[in-house]
Amino acid sequence: MSPTLQTPRSLVLGLRLTLACLCLVSVSVLEKHLFAQQDQRSGSTPSIGTALEDPNNPIARLFGSERLDLWSLRQIQDTRIPESGIPDSTGQGQSHPIDRFLAEPLAGIQLMGSARVSKKHQLERLSLDLIGLRASYDEVIDFETDASSESFDHQIDRLLADPRFGEHWARLWLDVVRYSDSNGFDWDEFRKQAWNYRDFVVRALNSDLPYDAFVLWQLAGDELLDGPPESEAQLDRLIATGYLRLGPYDNAAKLFNEQDRARAEVLTDLTETTGAAFLGLTLSCCRCHPHKTDPLSQEDHYRFRAFFAAIQFADSTPVLLGNQPQDIQEHHRNAASIQESNEPIDGLKNEKHSVLTGFFATDDKDHIETIRVLDQGNHQKPLEPVEPGFPSVLFPNAPRIDPPSHGRTTGRRLALARWIISKDNPWTARVIVNRVWQNLFGQGLVASSNDLGITGSAPISQELLDHLSVYLVEHDWSLKALIKYIVESDAYSAPIGPWRKLRRLSAEQLRDVVLQTTGQLQHRNGGPPVWPVLSDDVLRSNPAVLDDNETKTKGWYPSPESQQTVRSLYLIQKRTVRIPWMESFDLPENTVSCARRDASIVPSQALALLNATWVAQAAGQLAGRIENSTDAYRAILGRDPSETELRICDAYLGQGRSIQELVLVLINSNELAFLP
Amino acid sequence: MDMSKHFQPANPQAILANRPESFLPTQRRDFLRSLGGGLGVVACAAIESQLRAQSPNRRSVGDVDPLNPYAPRIPHFAPRAKSVIFLFMVGGPSQIDTYDYKPLLEKLDGKPVPASIRDALNATRHANVFHGCDDVVLKSPYTFKPYGQSGMWVSELMPHTAEHVDDLCFIHSMQADSNNHAPASYQLHTGDVRAGKASLGSWVTYGLGTESQELPGYVVLFDAGPLGGSANYTNGFLPPAFQPTRFATTNPPLQHLVAPEHLAPGQRQSLDLLHELNRMHRDQYAGATELDARIASYELAYRMQASAMQVGRIEDEPEHIHKLYGIDSPEARTQSFSRKCLLARRLVEQGVRFVQLYDMPDKDGWDAHAKLVENHTPRAKWTDIGVAGLLADLKQRGLLDTTLVVWASEFGRTPMKQGDLGRQHNAAGFTIWMAGGGVRKGLRIGSTDEIGLMASERPIQFRDLHATILAALGIDHERLSLEVSGRDERITGVAGSANPLLDILV
Repeated sequence: MSPTLQTPRSLVLGLRLTLACLCLVSVSVLEKHLFAQQDQRSGSTPSIGTALEDPNNPIARLFGSERLDLWSLRQIQDTRIPESGIPDSTGQGQSHPIDRFLAEPLAGIQLMGSARVSKKHQLERLSLDLIGLRASYDEVIDFETDASSESFDHQIDRLLADPRFGEHWARLWLDVVRYSDSNGFDWDEFRKQAWNYRDFVVRALNSDLPYDAFVLWQLAGDELLDGPPESEAQLDRLIATGYLRLGPYDNAAKLFNEQDRARAEVLTDLTETTGAAFLGLTLSCCRCHPHKTDPLSQEDHYRFRAFFAAIQFADSTPVLLGNQPQDIQEHHRNAASIQESNEPIDGLKNEKHSVLTGFFATDDKDHIETIRVLDQGNHQKPLEPVEPGFPSVLFPNAPRIDPPSHGRTTGRRLALARWIISKDNPWTARVIVNRVWQNLFGQGLVASSNDLGITGSAPISQELLDHLSVYLVEHDWSLKALIKYIVESDAYSAPIGPWRKLRRLSAEQLRDVVLQTTGQLQHRNGGPPVWPVLSDDVLRSNPAVLDDNETKTKGWYPSPESQQTVRSLYLIQKRTVRIPWMESFDLPENTVSCARRDASIVPSQALALLNATWVAQAAGQLAGRIENSTDAYRAILGRDPSETELRICDAYLGQGRSIQELVLVLINSNELAFLP
Repeated sequence: MDMSKHFQPANPQAILANRPESFLPTQRRDFLRSLGGGLGVVACAAIESQLRAQSPNRRSVGDVDPLNPYAPRIPHFAPRAKSVIFLFMVGGPSQIDTYDYKPLLEKLDGKPVPASIRDALNATRHANVFHGCDDVVLKSPYTFKPYGQSGMWVSELMPHTAEHVDDLCFIHSMQADSNNHAPASYQLHTGDVRAGKASLGSWVTYGLGTESQELPGYVVLFDAGPLGGSANYTNGFLPPAFQPTRFATTNPPLQHLVAPEHLAPGQRQSLDLLHELNRMHRDQYAGATELDARIASYELAYRMQASAMQVGRIEDEPEHIHKLYGIDSPEARTQSFSRKCLLARRLVEQGVRFVQLYDMPDKDGWDAHAKLVENHTPRAKWTDIGVAGLLADLKQRGLLDTTLVVWASEFGRTPMKQGDLGRQHNAAGFTIWMAGGGVRKGLRIGSTDEIGLMASERPIQFRDLHATILAALGIDHERLSLEVSGRDERITGVAGSANPLLDILV
């Protein structure tokens, strides 16, 4: 921005803030007048169209009506699929609706009508995208030799049914909800049961739990239960509330009489993360003042926060475990095996009534915090109190909040969750559809996947985004159905070009692929995290680790060597000590929602992949089982070497270099590092 | 040493003439005024275009080429400093036992805190500083005396650093927003008491790139890290290229720097093969610059192995240099800290932009909740000579003019006693100092009340410090920003309430 604008800008800003403050007062008066007739408890939320067209829309009154002119505020439209202007890649069939929607926005870019990538690359792409791992040499051959017209469909179905699908897609979701196995701050205590939430996400994705239920359970699973859970499915509702506990928590704050700050931070985090993760709303931008660009008032931030006003950690919620399914029992055994002998977990297997120490949250109905707007977001400067409410631009009225019949909770989060998954909500389906698209293409139809606001990116094709959103809802919010629908398109299998970019594998994918292709990757059926062996020198990055304690939450507890080659999903993820090798490959900060991974290309990554002992060992393991360059190509790159490649690799071996070194070279190749 | 030479106001023309990207001082002063009062923006634009004309191939602050993220970028205005060495004393050293001399403590020892001082603190957001303390003043067990031309009073804890007071600029009125380690430490590193934001070193390298392409731009050095761990020095939401690299003073200095022994001899051949295979692979993808970038990164990594080994060779330094830093000390912890100080100098000498050096020899650091003397006396001994050696060495090499040295902690300590002759955390008022890199010499600004409890004159926040450091590097903190989820994130916060301390810059 031009420096000459500085002075005027600050002047304008000051004026605008003053006006905004004046407006805020008048709006709240107006709001009371306008909406007072409606019963606060039963007042139905107006449809989107009504609020946007209402001349008294509170946001229009606050900021002017131009902020209402935002695509993501409009109801999702079931747009007519454009006429097919082009045939599909086979030159015969009707082209896929996705390709027809994309034909126009991407007209200038060669995309449609051109051939798909080779079958090998098509399968490699699909495999890395659906299960996070590479297609093996044999899988590629099988696919290449399958001449049936449904050959790709079969591969899609096979990979969607693979239990590793849930593991890969769980990782993508865990980024969004800033998953970590520890508290953060000074002591960064290990959260011994957080993995229950991680495994719930894997289960939900593998069983294709409808996305609306997935949202509902995470925000209010406890409110849905009449009593202690009695089945696996009921237990998952409780485990899902781990979402509400995932944020950082300053456990030491009370020692310095700063517990109010810690509590305020928990609520801030829940508000901001929930807004970003499920709705693509930047509620973080209106915590201190009205939103600078989007149709959100400062009050909106605190109305949203008020849904969480009674929230409490509830790790000792009683759980009735009558007929425990096998895998839950297995989990409990795992839990019991990690230095928790002091807890009565062994008894769980046969007893009907017991307590599962979990990682849950619920309401403390007797302590509903009065939520107030905070001056400049400062918890020491509370202003006027607010009641729970959805973003006022579309839903200015007080929502209906019915405490559940069991009477244990306030019903606030349930009201929030039900609204998030309601048909009236223009954000929810678009946001998850966009995330799915991003996971499959590297970039969303809206590039800013945590921000569907005015400063966020405009969709490449809003019609397509809406079409897919409708598709998702009509298919009972099935993410697998949506994924299948997308990867069937020609767009998905389009060659690399200006629009379909090469993508570097994530840290987790790269580690997993190295272990996979060298034959080291071991399956793990969920359970507590695996602790890598790290040098003392690395561990001291948070000195609290040196302060090992009786409850075994502060130290570092390396897992046995035999467990070290599990998928990266299962590695411990603390907030203050990070695994250096993984960090080199751009692990995101796990204290805030990560919308999208960065993929930097820097020399430290080359050093990590060339020189790390574990990579050399993996290469050595494979080398011990193979004999020549062709074997190495098949194992690592899933193909036979070309004549030239074979010649120069053999020449390299002829210079006294080993198969292990050749394997290491292939592990470092660009062909392995990027999705084709 | 001729102190008068250092104490005289430096000749701005002379300093400017030494700078590669010099400009007229009147324009610079105009610009400085513009930072303070919103004037002189025209001059600012003129300076920027002048700088750009001098380095036509360079991009501007924060305009990062993802394929060449470390390339040096043009600052907003002429930098005073090129590099920063940030000495972080983890845990909260006591200001009233080091650099903030309060004779009244002697008189009040064993007595309650005077009501007026207590009331003044209670009226602020820092009231919780009393939490956990006894209402008993504890005098300093250390003696103070004045040093140098400036007559700065320094305690017996820091005899070596005290010899350099005429080069230092003390800020006696720092404040933090939390009285707990991790949040305050996060704030000093990233501007926010919550974890998740980007650290100063990441911001600086994001803004300016770095001078050496064969060494990382942002280096952290520690035995044990700061309280709150890696979230302190993280790149946060900034591109991961700007995460720090941890160097050690041992050999090899970097993790993953050298190949396992039996693979090392063939590495050049392996890289040649890799290059050949990657080149053939690349031919399938017209215009895929990521592939070129990754190919280049392997060559750079290969060169970095040599450069990093070279820069880490502290043993190559002559004996008198080792002695200057105290590396010859029989005390292992002195050696350890001093080696890091020497490595920091070697790094900035090679063009590393930002070195964050922690003093955290164990799990407590300077956190003297009990037995202040048992905590502070050894820690001062372990660090004082290394810090002084670093200042002297930078100066004798002419590097102090372009290297900003900062000595700071997340907070200080209370004049009230806690437990067994200890002191509680104190975020209400504490001392830090800066030296070199365009900071005025022999200066002290701000002050605490008569017992050193709370900043009374000119309270200064971490965001002001950040803005000042950035200004010394030629960056307008308001314009070093990144849009994250709809918000223009800056290290100095979105509220725009930071004020660079322009009066302490030359």
